[in-house]
Amino acid sequence: MMAKSKVMSINEALKPITSNATIMMGGFVGAGEPTCCIDWLVENEIKGITLIANEPGLSGFGKAKLYKHGLVKELIASHVGTTAESTEEYLKGNILIEQFYPMGTWAEKVRAGAMGLGGVLVPVGVGILDEEGLFPNLKEPKKVINVNGVDCFAEPALTAPFSIVKAWRADELGNLQYRYSSMNCNPIVAMAGEYTIAEVEEIVPVGTIPPECVGTAAPFVNAVVKGLSLEEHNKIYRDHWIKIGKLKPEV
Amino acid sequence: MDERELIARRAAQELHDGELVNLGFGMPTQASNYLPEGVNLTFHSENGIFGVGPKPKTSESDADITNAGTEPVTLLPGAAIMDLCTSLGAMRRGTLDVTILGALEVDQLGNISNWAVNRNGLWWPGIGGAMDLTYGTKKVIACLAHADKKGNSKILKKVTLPKTGAKCVSTIITDKAVFDVGDNVLILRETAPGVTVEDIRAITEADFIVADDFHEMVL
Repeated sequence: MMAKSKVMSINEALKPITSNATIMMGGFVGAGEPTCCIDWLVENEIKGITLIANEPGLSGFGKAKLYKHGLVKELIASHVGTTAESTEEYLKGNILIEQFYPMGTWAEKVRAGAMGLGGVLVPVGVGILDEEGLFPNLKEPKKVINVNGVDCFAEPALTAPFSIVKAWRADELGNLQYRYSSMNCNPIVAMAGEYTIAEVEEIVPVGTIPPECVGTAAPFVNAVVKGLSLEEHNKIYRDHWIKIGKLKPEV
Repeated sequence: MDERELIARRAAQELHDGELVNLGFGMPTQASNYLPEGVNLTFHSENGIFGVGPKPKTSESDADITNAGTEPVTLLPGAAIMDLCTSLGAMRRGTLDVTILGALEVDQLGNISNWAVNRNGLWWPGIGGAMDLTYGTKKVIACLAHADKKGNSKILKKVTLPKTGAKCVSTIITDKAVFDVGDNVLILRETAPGVTVEDIRAITEADFIVADDFHEMVL
C-alpha cells in the first residue's frame, strides 16, 4: 500500500487544537494515558478545555497536569476525585460537572458515539440519578423510557472533535495495538473522535501487527505520534510504585 | 486486632470456592489476604481484567498490567483482558458472583451510599464503577465501621446520602457485627468477640431482629 504515513510530530498532530476545545481522552486512573500529548497541551496553554474522560486520572501524573494548570473548564466523566488536582479545582468551582455518570454509562455513551448511534438505553441508576435536585446543573431532565418492562435512561451518544489515545504500537497507516490493561477505554475513545491522535510507544512497519490483533483500525486514526518508549514507561511506573510503597525498592 | 483487619478477615469468610469476585478498595481488598483454605477465586478488575493475580516482584512490574487503582498486579494463567465497555458490561449484566465494597451508609432496606459527600455544596468524589457493580452483582456485601467518630450509627433506617444502589445489599459487615438484610429489617447474625446484642442495640439506628443461629464471629 502506498498510503501516506500518518506518523508526524506531536506539534503537527495537535496544532488543530485551540483553547475552548472539547477533547476526549483515553486512560484509566493514569494507565494508558497520552502523557506527551498532555504535556503539549500544557506547554501550549490550551485553556477552557471540555474534557471527556472516564475519570480525572492519577495525582501528579498525565491528565492531573491539566487541572493543576487550570486548563479544564468542564469534565464529562464518572468521577472527579481520583486526583488531588481535579478535586481542588472542582471544589473551588473552576471545573463544571453537569452530572456524574456511572462508569458503564459513560463508556456506553462514548461507544454509541463511536458507532454512529444516537444513544443508548441504560437501566443503571434509574430512580437514583433522576432524583429531584441531585444534579442542579442539568441542561435538561434525565429521560426515562420503559422498554420490555425495564425503565432505562435514554442517554445521548458522546463524540468529540478531538480524541487523544495511548496505544502500545502503531504502523504507519495508523493501525493501533494495545497492551494488556492499558487498553481500557482507548478503543472507544479513538473511534468516537472526529480527529483522532494516537500516542504510541513504538512505530512498526506496515504488516507487523497481525490483522486480528489490531485494537483500533487505521481508518479511525488521523495522526500517530511517538511518545515515551515501553522501557521508559516501565521505569516511570516502577519508580512511582516504589515511591508510594506499593512495591519494595529493588536491591 | 484492629477494626479494619477484623472486617477484612470476616468478609473473607463470605467468599466461596470458584466464585468470580470484585473487591472494592481499602478494607475489601484486604479480604484476599484471609481467604479460607480451599477457596480459589477469580478476581475481576474494573479496568478490564478477569484473572487478576497477586502483586509482582518489583523487577517484574509492568506499566500495562495494573488494577483499577493503578496498582501493579499480575495476570494468572487463563486471565483475559477486555475493554472498558465489556468490563462494565460484565458488571451490569450480572456476571459477577460477589462484590465486597466499602460504604458510607447502609440502611435496613439494603440501600447503600458510598459515592458522594457534600463538600463546598458539591457532590464528591463521584460514582466510578460502584453503581454498575451494585446494580448487577448477584451478592453485594457492604463493609463499614459500625459508627462514625462521634458514635453515630452508620447502619440507618434510611440512608441520607445519595444512593449508590437501591435494595441491593445482602450482607453488612462492621467492626462490631454481621447483619443480613431482610424485608425492611436487618437480621443480626453475629457480633464481634466481646460485643453483646445490647451493645449493638445502643449503636444501631436500623431496626433489627436477632437470628435464630446468632453466634459470636469466629475469626
